[in-house]
Amino acid sequence: MVSRKKVLKISLTVLAVYAILACLFYFLAGDQLRFRNSRGNVEMLPAESGTVELVQGAVVEQSFAARIQRLESVSVQWGTYYRPNAGTITMELIDASTGTVLLSGQFDAAAIAEGGLTTLTADAPIETAYGVPLVLRLTADSQAGSAASPLMAATLPETYAEQTLEASQLTLNGVPAAGALCYAVSGEDYIWTGLHYWKFCAAGAVLILLFLFVFWKRCRAGKRSYLLNAAHAMRKYRFLIRQLVSRDFKTKYKRSVLGVFWSFLNPLLTMIVQYFVFSTIFKSDIPNYPAYLLVGIVSFNFFSESCGMALTSILGNASLITKVYVPKYVYPLTRVLSSVINLGISLIPLVLVCVFTGVQFRKSVVLAFFFLFCLILFSYGLSLLLSAAMVFFRDMQFLWNVLSMIWMYATPIFYPESILPENFRFVLAINPLYYFIQNTRLCILDGLSPEPVAYLQCMLIALGMLLAGSFVFRKSQDRFILYL
Amino acid sequence: MDDNIMIRVSDVTMRFRMNNDKILSLKEFVTTALRGKLQYHNFTALEHVSFDVKKGETIGLIGRNGAGKSTLLKIISGIMKPTEGSVECHGNIVPMLELGSGFDMDLSGRENIYLNGAILGYTKPFLDEKFQEILDFSELGDFINIPIRNYSSGMLARLAFSIAAVVKPEILIVDEILTVGDAQFQEKSKRRMMELMSGGATVLLVSHNIKQVRELCSRAVWLEHGRVRAIGEAKEVCGAYEHPEA
Repeated sequence: MVSRKKVLKISLTVLAVYAILACLFYFLAGDQLRFRNSRGNVEMLPAESGTVELVQGAVVEQSFAARIQRLESVSVQWGTYYRPNAGTITMELIDASTGTVLLSGQFDAAAIAEGGLTTLTADAPIETAYGVPLVLRLTADSQAGSAASPLMAATLPETYAEQTLEASQLTLNGVPAAGALCYAVSGEDYIWTGLHYWKFCAAGAVLILLFLFVFWKRCRAGKRSYLLNAAHAMRKYRFLIRQLVSRDFKTKYKRSVLGVFWSFLNPLLTMIVQYFVFSTIFKSDIPNYPAYLLVGIVSFNFFSESCGMALTSILGNASLITKVYVPKYVYPLTRVLSSVINLGISLIPLVLVCVFTGVQFRKSVVLAFFFLFCLILFSYGLSLLLSAAMVFFRDMQFLWNVLSMIWMYATPIFYPESILPENFRFVLAINPLYYFIQNTRLCILDGLSPEPVAYLQCMLIALGMLLAGSFVFRKSQDRFILYL
Repeated sequence: MDDNIMIRVSDVTMRFRMNNDKILSLKEFVTTALRGKLQYHNFTALEHVSFDVKKGETIGLIGRNGAGKSTLLKIISGIMKPTEGSVECHGNIVPMLELGSGFDMDLSGRENIYLNGAILGYTKPFLDEKFQEILDFSELGDFINIPIRNYSSGMLARLAFSIAAVVKPEILIVDEILTVGDAQFQEKSKRRMMELMSGGATVLLVSHNIKQVRELCSRAVWLEHGRVRAIGEAKEVCGAYEHPEA
């Protein structure tokens, strides 16, 4: 029977942990909780030709509109005729409806390289420019023969007109021209969830309270609840799980000279080999390729190791299962937990490589643990499924070998996601590992938090797999013993 | 429910569905299913078995090979789920079925005491406290620190028995009185066993040694072809078992 005092204590602990996590997340996610790169950003068009030589008196105007809630910067790409130029270029962004100048700046024409950019950046994001007709005006005081020329594209992609709200018009010295200037506009949008973050937190707290209340009522009514049972089993079998994990770990490295160092060396060596192979073959333009690679390798190794080991966990422990009663989910769980320890150790080389390759650790690194946690839950769910399937069909282990290989190639571990052709992009969309790994990379390597929806996505994927796995395992576990 | 009842076996039926040949691969399953040769025959190991065991009782399970004794023990200790019926147990069960399952040959004796103890459901403080007792009982001495793959079979059996026998269980399930090791240890382990059985525990004993059942048990259950043939006073049931014609 659960006493009143104990319930109070548990409830308070749960709420306190919840509040701490909510605040911690708010702090760690930072600005990315409230703003994301705007979906209305105008991408730079590929340059095809020059417009006019921007001498004194010449005016190049590009009118457009964009769905950007917080406009931050505008860039223009320049041609130099491959000669040294001189003079000052003036760049202005004007609100066409009111005529006010939103942004303006002057650039030295001599400093611009062929294909170089000039960028106007707002001190504070402009929040009044959403969907408003804007004009980007370029003027200069250069002499003919030493003036630069803004570049333009004659053919426009299909999405361009929609992106600029059909307001795009290029005017060269007052004469309308077909095509568009090579310019880019970028900014951020507000994230609705992020703006209402505290309201969501409060709603979550209310839900938890409600849940605790129902839970308490049920306890008092003497009903069995899964949660209580699970907590009870956890306490009862904690010691056994610890023993089995330490057994796995001790026997794994028993009689090897380097012992536990292999957990450390393995990912590092794999990384070095793949680094040399792929950095010469693919010539990828991924910044900090070693770290990019290592995040992928460490995550995927954990996944394939835990699932591969858990696959045989029921069969391998057949002698125990037929003789002593232990809840059967303990066996896949211990295998996954041993892999978690391995994962923990292999994070050390990851940190070392990150430090050596100059990754700036930001506070968002902590958020990477959320995605690793999702990966662990996901792996456990799949482990339950695989270990149960393995009992009934021994073909599973060979199938899994093939499947995990396919999975490895379908996950951007050593290649950038951009090399996938458009018609194969769906592979990433349906690959759960892609979400976990990509978001981990974002947190560690780019120092950014993903959009709030990414957290929800990953958690749902992980919980979905866990539920599916538990369901299959639960349904079939009583029949295991007949097939061992 | 009566507080005195420790184990209640109610109407337990255990049916195994057996293929003529165990099919363990998907391909085999599909091909045989397609050929329409997927035959099963049901094998009933236990049929409508019911009995209660009261607190402190020592109950003997007798019957010939294949009568379902071991299946019943496995169902009572929770290893198997019955097809029909249910088993209720009140109290911690220590199954002395096959000792030393779960030993890891690469670990030392010391590590195996903790591993095997954990599998049997002991807690860490309990094992810490009883460690010396287990070690003394097993008479392993300094061998406790070497990997058990170097042990002789007698040493292994002694270690396994010592771990299983250290606990004071509420329900003790014994498949044959285990006598392991040399004559001296056999004597010692038998004594320990008797101590456990007479120490207030509820005991379920399976034995082919009718003399032993008659001596130790208050009641006996006679299983035949999965059914309860007789249940009652140990002396009577044993008598009937030995002279079925009478």
